[in-house]
Amino acid sequence: MEAEAISRKDLRDGISRRGFMQIAGMAGVAVGVAGGIARAEGAIGYHAMDLSDEDLTQMLRTILRIRWHERTMADRMLSDPNYRAYNHFYAGQEAVATGVCAALRNEGPFDQIDLVYSTHRPTGHALAKGVDMGRMQAEFDFRATGINGGYAAEMHISDPSVGFIGADGMIGPGHVIATGSAFAFRARGSDQVSVVFGGDGTYATPHFHSALNNARLLDLPFIYVLENNLYHQYAHYSYSCPHTDIADAARAYGIPARVVDGQDVFQVYNAAKEAVDRARAGGGPTFIEAKTYRYYNHWGAPGADVGQLGAFGYDPLAITSFRPEREVRAWMQRDPVDIARDTLIDWGVLTAEGAEMLEAEVRSEVDTAFAWAAEQPLCTPEDGLRHVFVEGEVIPRQIA
Amino acid sequence: MTEKTWMYSVLEAVQWEMRNDPAMTWIYELTPPVATNAGMPVINLETEFGRRRVVNTGIDENWMASAVLGAGLAGSRAATYIPYQGAGMPYQVIQNHAGKLRHMTGGKASMPVVFVIEMTGQTPGFAGQHSDYEVDTIYAHIPGVRTVVPSTPYDAKGMMHAALRSPDPVVFLYPAGLRMLSEEVPDEPYEVPLTRAAVRQEGSDLTIVGSGAGMPDVLEAAATLTSEGMSVEVIDLRVLKEMDTETLVTSVAKTRRLLAVDQSYYTLGPAAEVVARCAEAVEGARFRRIAFPDAPPPASPEMFTWMRPDATRIADAARKMV
Repeated sequence: MEAEAISRKDLRDGISRRGFMQIAGMAGVAVGVAGGIARAEGAIGYHAMDLSDEDLTQMLRTILRIRWHERTMADRMLSDPNYRAYNHFYAGQEAVATGVCAALRNEGPFDQIDLVYSTHRPTGHALAKGVDMGRMQAEFDFRATGINGGYAAEMHISDPSVGFIGADGMIGPGHVIATGSAFAFRARGSDQVSVVFGGDGTYATPHFHSALNNARLLDLPFIYVLENNLYHQYAHYSYSCPHTDIADAARAYGIPARVVDGQDVFQVYNAAKEAVDRARAGGGPTFIEAKTYRYYNHWGAPGADVGQLGAFGYDPLAITSFRPEREVRAWMQRDPVDIARDTLIDWGVLTAEGAEMLEAEVRSEVDTAFAWAAEQPLCTPEDGLRHVFVEGEVIPRQIA
Repeated sequence: MTEKTWMYSVLEAVQWEMRNDPAMTWIYELTPPVATNAGMPVINLETEFGRRRVVNTGIDENWMASAVLGAGLAGSRAATYIPYQGAGMPYQVIQNHAGKLRHMTGGKASMPVVFVIEMTGQTPGFAGQHSDYEVDTIYAHIPGVRTVVPSTPYDAKGMMHAALRSPDPVVFLYPAGLRMLSEEVPDEPYEVPLTRAAVRQEGSDLTIVGSGAGMPDVLEAAATLTSEGMSVEVIDLRVLKEMDTETLVTSVAKTRRLLAVDQSYYTLGPAAEVVARCAEAVEGARFRRIAFPDAPPPASPEMFTWMRPDATRIADAARKMV
């Protein structure tokens, strides 16, 4: 009790919630000046403050699990020549997956849980939805006991048992498919919702527009979470979208849209909660644009060092328009881990010591997951012919 | 003559054509038209020709293919580079429009356009939508679209010149596995015809036919078999549409044995077409084909490498025939 009281007092003296938001806002302006664009709507209804301490702490735990899984993976990629996995890193965007999935139904029978369609930056979405970290890591490492038996690897992981329909190697098609799930929910009278995560690159695809148009036409229980991390692959989103806020496009389709600070898990949660409530009540689709940033490159961790977060503007394809290092560092000043932790301490949900203990627990869990994955058996070559259809195997035509 | 990589050779052809035709354009996403080669000037089409003619666009391969088609119909030569994960996305516009327009307009439509489509799948680990084994098969199936798959830097440059100068739409397949392949390539422009297969090695006991990314394995197998005393004729298809029946039939009529090798899926792959054309024309010959099984490429390297028709498997299949 005393520790909590002291902690609250320190925070009042040091950095209050309001003060923090002011700093965050200033950082956002700085980022805008530096070339990136990150504007978010102001304060919105704080559903998150009504959650239990346990639920709020769980959000920080999820953010930390994603972060330490990412950092551990980056370190392995950079330092261990025997590490086979690759990744499209999610670090920097943890608050988006966490805030959205915290508003969803993630447990129970398959015909009652909410479904998530992911991108090919899927680790954060998967962990937030409840995919087992060890089995996911085993899949990344092409192991037989991986979550998809070694067939999928990072870009295609899937776990329907927790409503994670899966990662997607393509930009666009999954978003239309996700509206099909929402269509089924509406047709069978279910109160489930279908959520799709997409990046700013999706805007250019015809699928973006098809998904929104049909979701609105049919008033589907569909939530489009657009993670605007400023870059599709190696190009700034101004190369593919004329809007500052992509949410403007959703509004043009007649869909309620909200722009949130994707670095603040509670802002994301509030918007997601509102969207889920609307969808379950038959109110149709919602579009959420979360302004966020990825710390690593589009693919892999070039330019990063072991033990250091982020890849600072390194450009393997020599494209002159790829991001400046100054921009990366500016965004890292508004880290989603720090924002969640500081907010919970400010609200008196956690002490600084409690947050440290939580992080230590998470790091231990991540280390255990990686160790378990590395010991898993490799795939049997002949199994490549299985799972083409429900029954039987195809013929090995590579052998005469 | 200088040693050049596959992509350097291709962009050298594009650069030459763009310098000589101020109306020609290039559209890309993800993969910038940049190539370097030791001791050679860097080719960067975007900096050389500017962003009005060389466009880095959003992720919409259907638009990219449609746009170059529209440019062609408007009288401008145009090319687009579709990166591997989008290899099937422009299919509809190429199949339903590019392939039919000349015919359905009674010969009026002219389409001096090139769709460079990157093929992957030869690398383990990616799986799913980043492993396409069917791209050569599906594009080769379309009437009205010339589909080529060069396997050497020399052919790649000559076929790019020919493709850009052709009034027909050309699907120019780029086997991504050959990215680092290099050989002596002339600095001057030249054309490799869009109608002929290449005989890579002459022999009398057996004909092995391959294409694209499969060629290094075919050539390696042929070298092994030659060292064992077999006289092997190797044909690189190079052009999938229209396939060069004459070269195939002439060879099989001589060797009486045909082994067709696909990196594509077994069913309806180019090897099936090769066997069918030779079987129709050559009496009493023996035929065999190997291909990637009719299963999507899995991520696991253990499963994936087992499923490929590699040099060892090609040599094994050949030995069973002679």
